[in-house]
Amino acid sequence: MRSLFRRLWYLLRERRAQADLSEEMAFHREMKARELEEAGADSVEARREARRTLGNTTLAHDQVRDVWVPHALQGISQDFRLGLRTLASTPSVSAAAIFSLALGIGANTAIFSLIDSLLLRDLPVRDPGRLVMLSDGSDQHWDHWSYPVWREIHSRHQLFDGTLAWAGARFDLSSGGESKYINGIWVSGSYFDVLGVRPLLGRTISESDDAAGGGSNAPVAVISYAFWQHHFGGDPDVIGRGLTLNRVALTIVGVAPRGFFGTDVGHAFDVAVPASGPANGPTVSIMARLRTDQTIDAATAMLRAIQPEIREATLPAGWPPAFLAQYLKAPFTVFTLEPAAQGVSGLRERFVRPLLAILIIVALVLLVACANVANLSLARAMARRRELGMRLALGASTWRLMRQLIAESIVVASGGAAAGLAAAPWIADRLTKQLSTTIPVRAPNAMTGTVFLDTSIDGRVLLFAVALTFLTLVIFGTVPAWRASRVAPMDALVEHRQPRWGRSVWRTTDVLIAVQVAVSMALIASASLLVRTLTALETRPLGFDRQGLLVATVETQHASVSPERRAALYNQALDAVRRLPDVADAALSFLPAVVEGSILAQPIQSVSGAPSLPARRGANAALNFISPGWFQTMKIPLIAGRDVGPQDRVDSPQVAVVNEAFARKFLRAANPVGHTVRFFQPGPPPAPVEIVGLVRDSVYGGLRSQIEATIYLPVAQRSGGWLPFLSLDLSIRSRSQQVGALEKKVAQTIESVNPDVSVTVHPVSDYVSDSLVQERLVAMLAGGFAVLALALAAIGLYGVTAYAVARRRTEIGIRIALGASPANVVRTIVSRLATLICIGITAGVVTSLWSSRYLGSLLYGVRPGDPANLAGAITVLVLTATIAAWTPVRAALRTDPVSTVRCN
Amino acid sequence: MGEHDSPELLRGTLDLLILKALVSGPRHGYAIAHHLKTVSEDVLQVGESSLYPALQRLLLRGWVKAHWGTSDNNRRARYYTLTAAGRKQLELERSEFDRIVIAIHKVLATP
Repeated sequence: MRSLFRRLWYLLRERRAQADLSEEMAFHREMKARELEEAGADSVEARREARRTLGNTTLAHDQVRDVWVPHALQGISQDFRLGLRTLASTPSVSAAAIFSLALGIGANTAIFSLIDSLLLRDLPVRDPGRLVMLSDGSDQHWDHWSYPVWREIHSRHQLFDGTLAWAGARFDLSSGGESKYINGIWVSGSYFDVLGVRPLLGRTISESDDAAGGGSNAPVAVISYAFWQHHFGGDPDVIGRGLTLNRVALTIVGVAPRGFFGTDVGHAFDVAVPASGPANGPTVSIMARLRTDQTIDAATAMLRAIQPEIREATLPAGWPPAFLAQYLKAPFTVFTLEPAAQGVSGLRERFVRPLLAILIIVALVLLVACANVANLSLARAMARRRELGMRLALGASTWRLMRQLIAESIVVASGGAAAGLAAAPWIADRLTKQLSTTIPVRAPNAMTGTVFLDTSIDGRVLLFAVALTFLTLVIFGTVPAWRASRVAPMDALVEHRQPRWGRSVWRTTDVLIAVQVAVSMALIASASLLVRTLTALETRPLGFDRQGLLVATVETQHASVSPERRAALYNQALDAVRRLPDVADAALSFLPAVVEGSILAQPIQSVSGAPSLPARRGANAALNFISPGWFQTMKIPLIAGRDVGPQDRVDSPQVAVVNEAFARKFLRAANPVGHTVRFFQPGPPPAPVEIVGLVRDSVYGGLRSQIEATIYLPVAQRSGGWLPFLSLDLSIRSRSQQVGALEKKVAQTIESVNPDVSVTVHPVSDYVSDSLVQERLVAMLAGGFAVLALALAAIGLYGVTAYAVARRRTEIGIRIALGASPANVVRTIVSRLATLICIGITAGVVTSLWSSRYLGSLLYGVRPGDPANLAGAITVLVLTATIAAWTPVRAALRTDPVSTVRCN
Repeated sequence: MGEHDSPELLRGTLDLLILKALVSGPRHGYAIAHHLKTVSEDVLQVGESSLYPALQRLLLRGWVKAHWGTSDNNRRARYYTLTAAGRKQLELERSEFDRIVIAIHKVLATP
């Protein structure tokens, strides 16, 4: 191994080494001459004698080279120089080859680097392999714990080699009115220390900072490198400066190192703040660092043993007794540790399937590109048949010829790989931006919708790219080299010999063309399914009128508003907005109409007059809270009964409105008005709720999800053990379709009601488009790459047809001279091509039928094996092939019989 | 090879002799050749075309190291030094050489 490095070292500085050798041999000769002179010879004679005794210096040089460079490898640099020259002699063809490989390798590497950073990469912290995550042992891996639970675990120092807790958050950077959110994390005092993250400037957050009210240094914050750069312009004196978040003044004590984005993969924090700041502390995720002698199972067992005492110590304040009893025995939250070297991420589940689908697509595109490059190399080798035959005739070995061609392929492949690798981070960054949403996910501890993935090239990505390059080299490089090595020396002499190997090269080209057609056919078919999925979702009837509808989210969590006054505040905001001249209607709801991925489920015990439900679990209905007039604002038609009204108050009997899906699910589609519903609730059985109205179905969660059986309760009747809502959404119906101007006005109006609340305003179309982020990305990429594959295949078809015409020029000339009709000539050329395309299309149909099974879960509103879809793809391919073949065929028809015959 | 070159050496013997010549300290190529010649009383005369490839072979295997220095007569010269691995190899080859020489003697001694 060592000697290998020495050899490489030698190769790198061969010129220098040879010069050294010359110098030391010259020295040797001179010493020898001097020796002879001293023995009495005259100086000229001594020199001659010295040279004679010492032998052949050129031979010595060669022998030294033989020592270092194995004989079989000598001449390699010559191969490469010649390869470069050959490639440079046909610059456009070579550029096309390198470009198509660069595109293929770049796209593959980019997608892989996204998968890598989302799934495979370790957190950029000290010894990530020993980090574990505390979850509840359920299938959902729920990992949100109350801050007191964390304090209890943290206080038992002997358990682990350190524990840490954090919670994602959106911090409002504005001082009032329309919110300007940045990504924040609440962190425990141990967060940075246990992760082993050292500050770039200043210090990190310490245990003493993590106290209610902000510790001895008052409230502090650590900012990320990126935030430091773009918000403070990289100011070196940033330490000690102030920052106002959620209306609280903080002091910056440190800047985190450049590569550290936090512990949530997919989001990068801007500011980290001690978690004890807010009253009860946030709901947190908990990580621990295992001691070196600890296994994950042993640690889990230890934690479970102390779980009862931790529950006892962390009873939530202000909960009804029935809830507390449940908290103590809750069977669903069993402490379970899971490996956490790769951090946690809410994005993984959502994006892994689409990314894998795209990876397959770009791999296929690369395959098409390889086939194309192979065809180009084959054509080049054919064109050089005479040269190769000549070299063979002059005594070059077959191996030497092959090496020559492989060297050319290596140059093309490395050129493509280098360009692709350079482009990959850029492509990956563009794609990451496409994953971001305008509106943050509605989930506990969600940060803003901006997605961050570390797309820098790490060892794994590099390895992937190198392996990929090697693979492409094998696919497109070996076949031409092997074929060309079977040139016969005779080929050098006979110009118009149709050599044996010529025919077999044809066969190779045929296979490559058929593969290209098949793959692009499959890609076109899949892409069209995905694009139609997107269209189907975008135009899906939502059940409400999405035109001119705004959603304003009003958050009172951080405002100096006492919980009792919150309800009044929401109503004041509602009234103020309603008074705006451009507002036709407005109403409150707990969830807006379209929210990706969050369903508020209400377990239902029974519905009067309906088939009985499973006794232990009942059945779930989706739940939303609304104010009077919400259905009217949304333009969701009321079918029977009445809307909730101002008469439905905390002290009046509980009422509900349900949708048709609810009636179908629970009441066999009977009119539900007048029936009563009982909810599952811990403690004494709650009073029945009367259904007073029935509304049409509308979309509840994301656009993909089915219509949910939904029950709507009045916002005003929420009471009992529940805390008032921390935020509510105002749905606002604009008088005009143009809602842009109204957005600002709504934000200002709500700010004027109370400058302390946080407000974000978005048209409903933003929610709709955010809900389709992954579908749009997949459709866009699939479509783009399918077109690319088609273009590559078209180039391939063009090349093959043009070559066929050129090769058979004489034959065509003779046929025309003998009176063949144009149709006849066309048939001669095209029949073979048509066969190829038919074979390719058949293979493509089979491939797309087979692959659509895997696409199935990504589709909506289209069937995977849709015949119309396949027919469309076939049409596109046949048209493309016709266009590609058109120019060469026309050239064939214009062949001048006299000149071709005379040529020979 | 030069005219007055030494009789053909056993394969690998030159390497052994060079290693041995370096035991007493760093030497440049000429000094090694000179040393072999004097010690062998002019029997072993090594030409450049065998000495330098042999030295490079030893470099490649890591048995000697080379560095540029100044010779006795103030000229730039490349000195070769025995490495630890080289010393070990010398021991090894030496015993191997003895074994072969004894074996050859035995064969030649048969009547």
